[in-house]
Amino acid sequence: MSNFRTFILALTASFGLPWLCLIIIPAIKYQALTPVAYDKDADGVDGYYPPAPINRQGQLVYAREGCAQCHTQMIRPTQLALDGWRKGWGQDQEARPATPTRANTLLDYLGEPYAFLGIQRLGPDLTNYGWRAPTRQEMHQMLYAPRQRHEWSNMPAFKNLYTVQLAQGPKSESALKLGKSYAPEAGYEVVPTPEAEALVDYLLSLKKDNPIPGITAAAAAAVKK
Amino acid sequence: MQTPSSSADTDLQADNLRRAAIDKSVKGPVLFLFVNGAFWLMASTILGVLAALKLFAPSFLGDCPVLQYGRLQPTHINALVYGWGVQAGLGVMLWIMARRSGQELKSGKSVLYVAGVFWNIAVTLGLVSILSGGSTSIEWLEMPKWVWPIMLAAFLCFAWPMTTMFARAFRPEGFMVSTWYILGACFWFPWIFVTANVALHCLPGLGALGTGINAWYIHVLILLFFAPVAIGSAYYFIPKITGQPIASMQLAQMGFWALACLGGWSGMQHYMGGPLPGWMSATGSLASVLLLVPVGAVGLNHHLTTLGKHNLVASSPTLRFTFLGAVFYPVSGIILALISTFTTGPTLQFTNAWYGYQIVAVYGFFSMCVFGAIYYIVPRLTGCEWLSVRLIRNHFWFSTYGIATVVITSLVSGIQQGGDLNHPEMWDQDFYQLVMNARPYMVARAFAWALITWSNIWFLVHLLLMVAGLGRRSSAPTLLHHGHEETSLPHGAHA
Repeated sequence: MSNFRTFILALTASFGLPWLCLIIIPAIKYQALTPVAYDKDADGVDGYYPPAPINRQGQLVYAREGCAQCHTQMIRPTQLALDGWRKGWGQDQEARPATPTRANTLLDYLGEPYAFLGIQRLGPDLTNYGWRAPTRQEMHQMLYAPRQRHEWSNMPAFKNLYTVQLAQGPKSESALKLGKSYAPEAGYEVVPTPEAEALVDYLLSLKKDNPIPGITAAAAAAVKK
Repeated sequence: MQTPSSSADTDLQADNLRRAAIDKSVKGPVLFLFVNGAFWLMASTILGVLAALKLFAPSFLGDCPVLQYGRLQPTHINALVYGWGVQAGLGVMLWIMARRSGQELKSGKSVLYVAGVFWNIAVTLGLVSILSGGSTSIEWLEMPKWVWPIMLAAFLCFAWPMTTMFARAFRPEGFMVSTWYILGACFWFPWIFVTANVALHCLPGLGALGTGINAWYIHVLILLFFAPVAIGSAYYFIPKITGQPIASMQLAQMGFWALACLGGWSGMQHYMGGPLPGWMSATGSLASVLLLVPVGAVGLNHHLTTLGKHNLVASSPTLRFTFLGAVFYPVSGIILALISTFTTGPTLQFTNAWYGYQIVAVYGFFSMCVFGAIYYIVPRLTGCEWLSVRLIRNHFWFSTYGIATVVITSLVSGIQQGGDLNHPEMWDQDFYQLVMNARPYMVARAFAWALITWSNIWFLVHLLLMVAGLGRRSSAPTLLHHGHEETSLPHGAHA
């Protein structure tokens, strides 16, 4: 019996060590993380980092529809991959930005119950989508009829987030402007549900390349020299 | 006065009676798990076909929200992992543990039935919730958060009798490698499952650390649940069918402890270059490459145990499936190392290669070993032999070619995808080329899952016929080749 106990103890020890180091201690330490205040003189900005939380209602729709299966939310550093140099994947929307978009840190996702870093990258990365997002109308069009914008797109059409209703009186302001093959029957219009609006709010709130207190400003200064 | 041969006969008879009693004591629960598992396996492969179709024809079957890729894919994987994987794994574990420790299932059979029923209810409700819009989008834990306590309780109901059997039969001088692995699986699964679920569903939110824990959960579940069950089963059946003892006890022991020590460190490298602290992905990467040592040791050991008996691989269905599964273990280890190093990892990160790894580990390696075990166990429980050689052969070849196709196309398409994503000239391009390049691979994947579905439908039918007692009444097992004297199995293989 004592050998049985030794066996169980050995199993516990061999698995307990990584369990403590990778899960338990980091999870406890994570609870102590709080937003960091910017230093106006050094960083040139006021307020806190990260500045604003994401839109949680929209994130729930994002989770429910499984968007993370094909869209990532994680910019890798330039020594590993070229994510940072992709056009429009950061705040700088110019064709050839002077500096690459910075890689993400743990604090970028502070306040999110779960960060949807993503499973595959079958579609573009959405980490900083809020900067490059088109108008709400265009975003709704993309969600309702992805192939209206790109014929080759393999994105699912999320028609369940929209209602087709009888157009009465003046056309609804939020009604989608759709091409011929995607438009509803004459006399009907497509309007977003509150869920679709929340999803768009969430996508617009994705701006995860705010300057890191004390680091990004110094890096930018180094480039200028 | 007894002659020596008649006393040997009596011993043999007593042995057979003891075996029959053990088989009878676990018959109901084990068959219940196998049949339900086979059903979920079939469901999962059908969902696999649909999900692959959706990747190149997103409007296939209309724009019904239930059948969009974002909901189908997690349902497909969850059905494979919890519906089939854990469930069929439990059946194999229970039978091998009872046989290997020479213990009958004393009591609590009805508890096992109730646990099995609840496991299936939980999986059904969980999968329906994912499809109808309740997905949490936490990979492999997409089912709503109230499902996991039910599954945990059901698992513990099975793990408890296995632990008592193990403890009762534990002999200090004997190293029983297959039961070590199986007890390990009983022990690790609840620990991993509770850790991940509490961290991701009950704590107030861990942000990107939660995502790292999720990656850890998937890797560790593969390495410390699916792998031990499959290796345990291979260590049990390969010596049994070939009639040769396990080639090296040192290799077996080293393989076990190295896996136990390294397995728990793997996982965080999945988000290398991400927001997690750098040392986490570095240790994960290191552990995943070091895992090649135990993986190689176990693979070598299995190879040496089969050496000289390769003709039996052709004739015995059990050995054929187990042998293939045992070959897939080193293959999955190599793929894990490839997606984990900092040289090849960033290219394969966020591509189909990740899917390829999950499938090679859960299907190519684990399921093949479990199929082998099922082909051995079921005739002993139902008292009749498998009906048709052709059905077994169909099952084998369709699964083999299907899985090979899914895994190879996923890897090649992963390399292509990663190359496209990281190509400097693509810096201002949209995803047109990427989508177009991936399309042929997705067609191949849908086709391969269709082949596998075909094989699984017949597997389920065959299994149901056996459970209904409609198998062949014969004392000779169903073999895939006949007529050669040298293919006859050693005596122990019938026990």
